[in-house]
Amino acid sequence: MSAPFLQVRGLTRRFAPGATPVFEGVGFSIERGEFVCVIGHSGCGKTTILNILAGLDAASAGEVVMDGREVSGPSLDRGVVFQGHALMPWLTVRGNIAFAVKSRWPDWPRARVDAHCQKYIDLVRLAGNEGKKPSELSGGMKQRVGIARAFAIQPKMLLLDEPFGALDALTRGAIQEELTAICAETRQTVFMITHDVDEAILLADKIMLMTNGPRARIAEVVVNTLPRSRTRHDVHHHPHYYRIRNHLVDFLVHRSRLLQEGRGEEAANEEGPRTVMPGLAGDDEAPAPRPALLVQVK
Amino acid sequence: MSLFDNPFDAGSRLACSCGRHASAAEHDAAAPDAEALSGQALQTAVMRALFPRDAERRRFLRAVGANTAMAAIASVFPLGALEAMAQEKGKVEKKALKVGFIPITCATPLIMSAPLGFYEKQGLDVTLVKTAGWALIRDKVMNKEYDASHLLAPMPLAISLGVGSGAMPMNVATIQNSNGQAITLAMKHKDNRDPRKWKGMKFAVPFEFSMHNFLLRYYVAEHGLAPDRDIQLRVVPPPEMVANLRAGNIDGYLGPDPFNQRAVYDQVGFIHLLTKELWDGHPCCSFGVRSEWVKENPNTFAALYRAVLNAAAMAASPGNRSTIANAIAPANYLNQPVPVLEQVLTGKYADGLGNVKNDPDRIGFDPVPWNALGVWILTQMKRWGYLKGDVKYKDIVDQVYLMTDAKKRMKEEGILAPADMPKKIVVMGKAFDAAKPDAYVAGFAIKRA
Amino acid sequence: MPLRAKSAVLSALLLAVLLGIWHLATLPKGGPAQAVDPEYAKLMGLDKPKSDGLPTLAQLGGTIAKQLADPFYDAGSNDKGIGTQVAYSLGRVALGFVLAALVALPLGFAIGLSPLVHGALDPFIQVLKPISPLAWMPLALYTIKDSAVSSIFVIFICSVWPMLINTAHGVASVRRDWLNVARTLEAGTARTAFQVILPAAAPTILTGMRISMGIAWLVIVAAEMLVGNLGIGYFVWNEWNNLSLANVIFAILVIGVVGMVLDFLFGLAQRAVAWVE
Repeated sequence: MSAPFLQVRGLTRRFAPGATPVFEGVGFSIERGEFVCVIGHSGCGKTTILNILAGLDAASAGEVVMDGREVSGPSLDRGVVFQGHALMPWLTVRGNIAFAVKSRWPDWPRARVDAHCQKYIDLVRLAGNEGKKPSELSGGMKQRVGIARAFAIQPKMLLLDEPFGALDALTRGAIQEELTAICAETRQTVFMITHDVDEAILLADKIMLMTNGPRARIAEVVVNTLPRSRTRHDVHHHPHYYRIRNHLVDFLVHRSRLLQEGRGEEAANEEGPRTVMPGLAGDDEAPAPRPALLVQVK
Repeated sequence: MSLFDNPFDAGSRLACSCGRHASAAEHDAAAPDAEALSGQALQTAVMRALFPRDAERRRFLRAVGANTAMAAIASVFPLGALEAMAQEKGKVEKKALKVGFIPITCATPLIMSAPLGFYEKQGLDVTLVKTAGWALIRDKVMNKEYDASHLLAPMPLAISLGVGSGAMPMNVATIQNSNGQAITLAMKHKDNRDPRKWKGMKFAVPFEFSMHNFLLRYYVAEHGLAPDRDIQLRVVPPPEMVANLRAGNIDGYLGPDPFNQRAVYDQVGFIHLLTKELWDGHPCCSFGVRSEWVKENPNTFAALYRAVLNAAAMAASPGNRSTIANAIAPANYLNQPVPVLEQVLTGKYADGLGNVKNDPDRIGFDPVPWNALGVWILTQMKRWGYLKGDVKYKDIVDQVYLMTDAKKRMKEEGILAPADMPKKIVVMGKAFDAAKPDAYVAGFAIKRA
Repeated sequence: MPLRAKSAVLSALLLAVLLGIWHLATLPKGGPAQAVDPEYAKLMGLDKPKSDGLPTLAQLGGTIAKQLADPFYDAGSNDKGIGTQVAYSLGRVALGFVLAALVALPLGFAIGLSPLVHGALDPFIQVLKPISPLAWMPLALYTIKDSAVSSIFVIFICSVWPMLINTAHGVASVRRDWLNVARTLEAGTARTAFQVILPAAAPTILTGMRISMGIAWLVIVAAEMLVGNLGIGYFVWNEWNNLSLANVIFAILVIGVVGMVLDFLFGLAQRAVAWVE
């Protein structure tokens, strides 16, 4: 059996020597083409983990191996979509993407850079806005530019840090679908942080649940047993949907805290958290109907 | 052409018909010994180098007199320049020169040489640079920005001694002018003419090392006031004096013309007295160069010297004063109304109190840097504490006003020693003996301890 | 009436009032003609009208018209047209300013990027910054030994601080995100400096430059009054010595207008590099 595409082992991060670690002994793996979401409360170190994967931050202990190589710094192999879009306001839409493209392929002539940019602008459906500055764009459009920028360098892996956190529900839905479509098309490996359980169920193949910090860890990996071709219009009709959703909400509301305090369940072993498939549980029973409330944990 | 003509005879032609003398009478009368003859030969060479054209030379000699000319040349030429001139008129080492000046009538010979073409005639391309004040002049001379400059007569001494600045050997080429200064008081003092009542008043002088400072101090001290205690003395650049007088910042000043006359013209002040009334024939400004510069550019120095001597000779003649006033009045030079300059130069002037006065000697242009003048300046520097300890008056002045080296060599060559000064130094009725400077200083009741 | 038009009318009105006051204040005083000796009067220049004190509006207008009619005349090394004088001053300012920028921008970058450098240089900056630029003049004259270079040095020293401080501040406040973007894209040091940090900090840097230019223009006038041979400051000094207030006022107006134009140009440059998030 070949090694997974991304292997994380024993990741620990302290912000000062001797201080209590924010998270400790975090380990997981991601296969090529997999879409993985991380859910957890604020302060559990999700963004720090993403930064370590991106190479922007260094772990106090543990290792990250991607495609057989240890991650030790930022690389064009990993595209990052930042929380606050991080577009450079003095550059146009095309300029922002071109900056990335020129970083990846410094020798490309201008025409080729432009054509490549255009392809990704079209992909995120921003055609006609190439010459606009970020300040002239709506929040959703800005985030689309951020996504296009990350995709444009054709990274081996995409890291998304709560990319849709600041968007309204409608816009978020639209972009989520675009993202699924693009990922499906490009077979992109994705690691994404989110607060939104519905988003996680819609997008992810695997959902990692983190306990509260400090000393946070990954408690469980929830396998999304819903079929991959799903849309936000039909996803909640599937019988697995509420089982998975309830499992996630239950974790966020109760278990994340209990686990942090070390009660109730066994700790995760060194090799990584246990894998669960709540979607398959009690397949014979009728799903317990619950109001489709939107749970967002901040 | 004879080497034995008297080169200082205005009537003589250097290329004479008989080949030896100007006239038979002179031929008979002159029976000089060999030594004197060789001395005269050198002098002839010097005169020819200075004034290659006979007409020019004669005009110069007529204007200043043979003795004066001889003394001037004998006293100021450094050996380098002399040797350069002993040959044919040398090629100037440096054609484009920067010469600094303060816009006052003292600088007349130096300034008029530009518009009237004296520099050009000597093959020099002189840029006259108007400068904001004496301190700046000093800095620019020491920084070698200026090749030569208009300086106050005491400045070369002060700079050579390193008093008030770093030390740098300087030479006085010529004295620019004599007299030409005045004490001007604000109109409100028109009934306050007794210096004994001037306690607490504020006066401006152009610079610490100036005749103005020394004469004003001398004047008030003679009237029982200690200048450092009883009055306030301020250094104000000459061009700013009238404006300060108008603004009421000062009660009066002993300043250079035309700013005395300008104060009258603008009805801001009146002329209390001319410095001529304190000491007739006192020097004021000089034309100075760095000693090093003279050594490096002997021919240029000679050419510059010729130009300024010519100008001084022209300025010395009262008939030319109106022409000169017009030449130096434009904004490029003094930037003053012509009537003001005419009053200064011709000596027919309004005193600011409703009187027209006539004093043709208000300003004079006597180019000779007499040694005694330097000694007098040093006695005042000593008197007011600018110089400490024993002052070797004669040695210092010899170095700056005369070049010992040159003098010694000239003596060896048998050149006549400089003649005496035409006028004795008498300041406010007191005679000055340059041979006894220490006694002179000791004789003052009011001085700095 | 739109607001702009209203303010324009008010401005014009204010100008009219000021000019009116000026006119009244400089009306020739019909004092009793004293019986004076005609010869004395002639020497005092009383036989012809002469400017005395503040010029009347007509005299000022005449001076301005005359000066502007031939702004580049050359009547000798100490007497040149107002255009030439302004050009000399602008040349000095430009030279000092460019030198200051050459020092302040890289140094400001270093200070902004490195807390170590910031800590090491900050005490010097704090002490040197409040020194009046003209206080450097004697020291500059003494050490540099050249008055023209000294005045350029004074411009340099007064322009360097706002530029340095603003550059350091601008660079230090560049958003972490943008730097992270550059890092994840493996943009090199030079690319990050010129394509991320520089444009990000440009508005702050340009604000510093605008302040510097304002100060430099103030200082050059004073510096030239002290040492200058040629330049607008020298012109003021020269005319003040001649007590020609009409020319002095004219020069003051020119200084104001040139300063305004400089500020306007920097305003344009500022707008060109400004960005909104």
